[in-house]
Amino acid sequence: MTGATPVHKVWAVIRREFVERVRTRWFWVSAILGPVLFAGIIVFQIAQSLGGGVRHIAVVDTGRVGYGRRIIEALGPSKSIRADAATFAPGVFDSLAGLVEAKQLNGFLIVDDSLPTEGKAEYRASNLSMQTIEELQRTLNRVIEKARLEGKGVNPEVVDWSQALRVTLDQKKCQRGACTSESAGQSFVVAYLISLLLFMAILLYGVNVMSSVLEEKRDRIVEVLVSSLRPFQLMLGKVAGAGAVSFFQFLIWGVSGRIVISLRGPIARALGADPSQIQDITLPHIPFDTLVVFMACFLGGFLLYSAMFAAVGAMSSNEQEARQAQQPVTYLLMISYLSFIGLTNDPSSTFAKTLSIVPFTSPIATPVRWAGGSMGVGELVVSLAMLAVAIVGVTWVAARIYRVGILMTGKRPNLKELMRWVRA
Amino acid sequence: MPEPVIVDRVTKRFAGHTAVDALSLSVPSGVIYGLLGPNGAGKTTTIRMIMDIYEPDDGSIRLFNDVAGGRTHSARIGYLPEERGLYPKMRVLDVLIFLAEIKGVTRRAARAAALQWLERLGLGDWGMRKVSDLSKGMQQKVQFISAVLHDPELVVLDEPFSALDPVNRQVLLDTVIEYRRQGKTVLFSTHIMEHAEQLCDRLCIIARGKKLIDGSLADVKRTHGGKHVVIAFDGNQGAAQQIFGDRRLVSKVEDFGQQAELELAPGADAQEILQALVSSGARLSHFELASPSLHKIFVDLVGPEAAIAAANPGTGNDRGHARA
Repeated sequence: MTGATPVHKVWAVIRREFVERVRTRWFWVSAILGPVLFAGIIVFQIAQSLGGGVRHIAVVDTGRVGYGRRIIEALGPSKSIRADAATFAPGVFDSLAGLVEAKQLNGFLIVDDSLPTEGKAEYRASNLSMQTIEELQRTLNRVIEKARLEGKGVNPEVVDWSQALRVTLDQKKCQRGACTSESAGQSFVVAYLISLLLFMAILLYGVNVMSSVLEEKRDRIVEVLVSSLRPFQLMLGKVAGAGAVSFFQFLIWGVSGRIVISLRGPIARALGADPSQIQDITLPHIPFDTLVVFMACFLGGFLLYSAMFAAVGAMSSNEQEARQAQQPVTYLLMISYLSFIGLTNDPSSTFAKTLSIVPFTSPIATPVRWAGGSMGVGELVVSLAMLAVAIVGVTWVAARIYRVGILMTGKRPNLKELMRWVRA
Repeated sequence: MPEPVIVDRVTKRFAGHTAVDALSLSVPSGVIYGLLGPNGAGKTTTIRMIMDIYEPDDGSIRLFNDVAGGRTHSARIGYLPEERGLYPKMRVLDVLIFLAEIKGVTRRAARAAALQWLERLGLGDWGMRKVSDLSKGMQQKVQFISAVLHDPELVVLDEPFSALDPVNRQVLLDTVIEYRRQGKTVLFSTHIMEHAEQLCDRLCIIARGKKLIDGSLADVKRTHGGKHVVIAFDGNQGAAQQIFGDRRLVSKVEDFGQQAELELAPGADAQEILQALVSSGARLSHFELASPSLHKIFVDLVGPEAAIAAANPGTGNDRGHARA
């Protein structure tokens, strides 16, 4: 019989953890169907808002100057709004409201002669969509501007010429000496995706470690295991195995995400939207360094939290106890996720800096700040170093709790007993 | 060949009580060794210390003449814990391979051995099924296979016969006896003396964490002995109760109703008892001069309360609680 090296034994635990998880139906359901479903929902919404058809509105002019007619003319080239004049007469508002109610009309605009002096108009609709409101406001502003300039004797042709050009603001994001074309919206989406993904992944896979520990304890397998393996080796194998599963899942998500993006045309067509509009959707550009920081922080955060979750599993005897005992750990992780708004609004604030240094919040705060471009390399090094130190410390404590806890049954230990386990 | 297990004045305390108290025992190579005692005597705690699951508070344990613990030697030791358990959602074959792998067996060798054992214990068709599809008895067999799959020199079985039906018990007994024939060492614990009497070459009886007696089965019987008579009645018992109560003839009685085991008073003659019984009208189907049964020795040593606990397996097991 060959003497097994510790590596061989830990490897066996890692493989079992990985294979048994990947073999389940649920893994593949969440790995493949999950992103397809998410992407489908997002594409569907965008398709709806883009190709949501032309809005039909009526314009009621209660005055004599004819601003209503001008507005209808100005809306002429619009692709998303079709405007028709409605003659002002007693009871017309009620009958138009009736048409809106019956979905024959999306809404109606009411203007009078005071438009260029007061700058006021009214829009009544069953559904006040942002897009329609913005376009109406833009159009009304142009009409007023033109009317006011004409009132001062400016040639209407000059006004038209002047209004023909509008500024397109080309947004570039500059961070650490390089500029990329990334809009504020995209930056926000990237930061949000980072924190959401990290939060979900650390929580889901940390809880996986916990339930795996609990399973071995509940099904009384652990005694055989610790007669062959050190508890620390067992815990290490579990954490590494669950970590490998999550990396594998990220990989599947990444690949299927790419496939969905490349097939966005056919998908849009299948959903009944105009494929040409969908073509504009692209994955926000994620620089390589952000990806590296993201992965490093995921790895660090996962190791830190799954060690804690392993200890929680070891000190509990059933699912119910574990659910209670995991709450403090979950809250700890939630702090940085919920601080997302603060992190993106002002990534250089003391609050944001603190979050990215403290090891329990840094796994989420650091990549969000890094992606936002407000974190220097020096800060990153400090943050990762603090995280590494915390991982060693927390794992040491967790392993001691784990070692005693996995062979315990009966009442859950209180804090004093836990301290004794750690010191033992 | 060195003794596979030497336990030297080992003590283990848990919050509130001493589970094992300065216990010493040694298991020679190639024997079946019984660790006997009532529930709560410290058998499982002793075995867990031998298996390196607990560390002793005092004393030392040597395995294969080495102070490095059971975990270091896990490739040479098979272990069937008292608390059985397998991964319910895993395939039988995968569980067996995994449990062999963490003892250092290669996957290929583990697979071959597992298939062989499954076949041998009548589970050949179940390798690809999930553990949870198996009956309790089948799971017990799988657990037993996991203890011996890596062909260990020493097999440690904690209460191996509890909760087994007679057929599976026999399969297990045969396997254990086969092991001794191959020159391997078996250490097992039980609170059921009949099993011990059938199997043991050597034994150690413990109660409340302390050793009461140890040695070979024959030695234990001889030293503890006294003259014993085993009687079986055939209907009418005559004045048996009165005769059993006569302290000039009989010093102790184990009365089982239709059977009885008597310990003769010093200087008494067994023939005297036979005559008294027959003349009182008792009909006998069996009258034997015998060495005492292990059960009798056990009851004498540990006291009647412990014997009652031992006769009701599955009660009063407080191990596992308050263990820090």
